[in-house]
Amino acid sequence: MLGYVAIGIPCGILSASIGLNALQVFLMCALFYSGAGQFMIPNMWLAGSPIASIIASVSFVNTRQMLYATAFAPWCEKVSKRLSFWFAATVTDESFGVNIKQFEQGGWSVQRATLVNLCSQSSWTISCVIGVLIGNAIGIPLAIASFAMTSIFICLLVTQKLAGANIVAAIMAIVGVFVCKLIGLSGPAIFFGALFGVLCAFVFSRIRERV
Amino acid sequence: MQPITWTDFWIIFVTCALTILACRVLPLFLLKGKELPKRVEEALGYIPPAAFAALVANDLLTPGMFDAGIWPAGAPLVASVIVIIVARLTKSLLWSAVAGVVAYALLTMIVF
Repeated sequence: MLGYVAIGIPCGILSASIGLNALQVFLMCALFYSGAGQFMIPNMWLAGSPIASIIASVSFVNTRQMLYATAFAPWCEKVSKRLSFWFAATVTDESFGVNIKQFEQGGWSVQRATLVNLCSQSSWTISCVIGVLIGNAIGIPLAIASFAMTSIFICLLVTQKLAGANIVAAIMAIVGVFVCKLIGLSGPAIFFGALFGVLCAFVFSRIRERV
Repeated sequence: MQPITWTDFWIIFVTCALTILACRVLPLFLLKGKELPKRVEEALGYIPPAAFAALVANDLLTPGMFDAGIWPAGAPLVASVIVIIVARLTKSLLWSAVAGVVAYALLTMIVF
């Protein structure tokens, strides 16, 4: 829970730096609710990315939610559709970890898991909104805000499992972004770069399987 | 930078909220307990490292970035190395952001 506060406040501050107000950030936390996504939007906006590119990249990153949804499927079979909908709709990276551990240990219910999700979401929402208010009050320079976001993505990158195909994915994504910029496609560079990285990692692991 | 308008906000917010909701909820109802195809699962696993690397590269690398001299483009790179070290040691987003901002501010002050 404290983790959400510690990172929600900076997220709010950075959202404020591109002109998002408290209501907009509240809506995002309540109905979009994605840590990486809520950092990506201000970051890409600041970098001057076109709207289509922001949407494509953010949605692409969020497809990993499918993994979480399928992981929970066995436990959701016995509960009502409405409850499983609410549960699935409020899963995130962090609460996923907590809940899957509890489910595997047994004695855990979808009701309780949904409660965990909602508590996480509430603390995330409150801290993001407080962050916006702080951001508006102190007005941090854009260059600083921008580098804070870069630092957060660096942290997210280097805390991934860095082995084998994941390294290929990361390096080729960097190459892809650079090449896109080189040929004048700086708008969709992030999306194409990331897609290129995933494709290369996939091909890499196919080749490794054969060898 | 233009501050974001309500129109732009609505477009980004509604579309992204719908796509993430679809990814969160649809597999649960469509797969009915079956697993995702192995290949799909594998590809989804590569998205985070690729996407975060792309975001970092987009912020730090630009063709011709050293044209204005080594330092303006070099300072964020040096600050990034510091962030990498802090991130590996603490695994904390907050400490990484704090270290990055402090390092970046100090390094750019060396010149200006």
